[in-house]
Amino acid sequence: MAKEIARTRAATPPETEVARQPGHRILVGVLTVLLVSAIIVSLGVGAVKVPVQKLALSFVGRDSLTADQRVIILTIRLPRVLAAALVGSALSVSGLLFQGLFRNPLADPYVIGSSGGAVLGASVGVFLLSSLSVAGFGGTAVLAFLGAICSITLVYSLARVNHRTPVVSLLLAGFAVSTMLSYSSYFLEVLDHDFGTGLRVLTSWLHGTIAQPTWGQLAIVAAMLLVGLGGSVPLARRLNTLALGEEYATHLGIHVQQTRIAVIVIGSVLTAAAVALGGLISFVGLIVPHMMRMLLGPDHARLLPVTALAGAVFLILADTVARTVIAPAELPVGVLTAFIGGPFFLYLLRKTKQEALL
Amino acid sequence: MTPLLEFARASFSYGDRPILTDIDAAISDHDCITLVGPNGVGKTTLLRLAAGTLVPEIGEVRLRGQPLQSLKQRTVARSIALVPQNVEVPFAFTVEQFIEQGRTPFLTMFGGLRPTDRGAIEEAMDLTDTQTLRSRVFNQLSGGERQRVKIALGLAQRPELLLLDEPTQHLDIGRQFEMIDLIHSLSRRGIAILASMHDLTLIEGTFSSVWLLSPGEVMRKGTPEEILQPELLERAFSCPPRHRPVLVERIRGRRERVL
Repeated sequence: MAKEIARTRAATPPETEVARQPGHRILVGVLTVLLVSAIIVSLGVGAVKVPVQKLALSFVGRDSLTADQRVIILTIRLPRVLAAALVGSALSVSGLLFQGLFRNPLADPYVIGSSGGAVLGASVGVFLLSSLSVAGFGGTAVLAFLGAICSITLVYSLARVNHRTPVVSLLLAGFAVSTMLSYSSYFLEVLDHDFGTGLRVLTSWLHGTIAQPTWGQLAIVAAMLLVGLGGSVPLARRLNTLALGEEYATHLGIHVQQTRIAVIVIGSVLTAAAVALGGLISFVGLIVPHMMRMLLGPDHARLLPVTALAGAVFLILADTVARTVIAPAELPVGVLTAFIGGPFFLYLLRKTKQEALL
Repeated sequence: MTPLLEFARASFSYGDRPILTDIDAAISDHDCITLVGPNGVGKTTLLRLAAGTLVPEIGEVRLRGQPLQSLKQRTVARSIALVPQNVEVPFAFTVEQFIEQGRTPFLTMFGGLRPTDRGAIEEAMDLTDTQTLRSRVFNQLSGGERQRVKIALGLAQRPELLLLDEPTQHLDIGRQFEMIDLIHSLSRRGIAILASMHDLTLIEGTFSSVWLLSPGEVMRKGTPEEILQPELLERAFSCPPRHRPVLVERIRGRRERVL
């Protein structure tokens, strides 16, 4: 039977790769619909409620919103919802890339030390350079971004032995550097003369809060996300080959070192983009690629688009809950993702033990 | 005529521990060669040199007269496929997705699989009888199935030369015979084969020549009759002399089976 199917398949070859996987196409469609619905729903939710029908109608050109509603939606909620979408997408795709690179389904964007650098950078921004501003981003975001990039570069060069970069030494160097850097921010806290104001700012940043972004900030992060996604396309298939191990991939003609550096650079750009808008939001880069892998299997080329879409949907919904669940106060979205992600991670850990499958 | 693959005084060492010294050997089209020798003598290293994943420190390995070093690995992998002993896959790739990796040397940076690639994959599955396994998860296969699927990946490269590292290792006796039959049928299709083997009883009738690597000696090449001699094997594998009767018995058993 299987042979028959194979024959018919071989007999009608000019199908494209995507056409052979209807499940993948359907999922892209479903997630696109979900993304649009998530955006509309979350625009309506908040202190001033706007009914979903009204919002949906205004999307198709039949605007019946009041002037106040329009201001709230366009200047306050829309930028925030878009920021959540960008951050969720960037974190999820970089999670997918790092999981492929480390051949470990439990890796996440912070695993090779970007978070430590980001924390230190953010602390410098909060305590020493709070008036700094570059391209519309405040000191915290800019320095967190630089910190993340610098610590990854440091980790990568430390882990490099004889022109090779063993994964184990990357992970260990990442852990050590990240821990050292994040604790060294304590010295900066001592310099805080405002009796804890800076500390509160830093804490909220560390817990992952999507701040109110400007359109300029959104444009920069959107550009970084697009570059990152574009750069990931040729890498996705190579990550599949890299899953066979370094030696085998080399035999099949993959330039392992080049591919690793490319993945680290792109993954870091994506992580840094997310950090700039949302601080440290944990577990998104771990859960989303994972859920998609459960639905579609491990082919990175197929996972890339669905992971990007699902990450956006996931964080829009999480952020909507985070900003409304204890209204009028706001929960940092990172707290919420940690509450969802922690148990999910533990569940995966148990499941992996039983099935050794992922 | 230029041989398909040629070792020209190739030497290799890990650090200051020499492994292979002055290897001179050639593989021609349609050859079916087995590589034997004790553990740690450098069989896997020799296969890696042949596949271009290791580069000899002295001497050269040439593919149709051209040094492997001067060729891109992509180009080499279109002619030579190495099937390693162990492959660990961290994710739940299906057998089909696994075998598709064999087309890597043929793909462009942004392009997907084309009809010729599909054809090669289907053919590889037909040859190794793995069609029925295509949607199974690679990590859940039995040892024998796994071995066939690994060979299918190599065949998807449409190689002229197939390098097999211990293809019968960890297989039960029935799967070992299956593997020998598979090697036989691939050889008949004109694919040159170089396979390292531990089980000497499986060699005769399948392989046309034997390369014997013996510690500190020049590599011997010959027909199975020439190489599978008790004295040679006893020295190469440093068998304790008191076990000689068993060794002779095994080789005689082989003779009787073949005749």
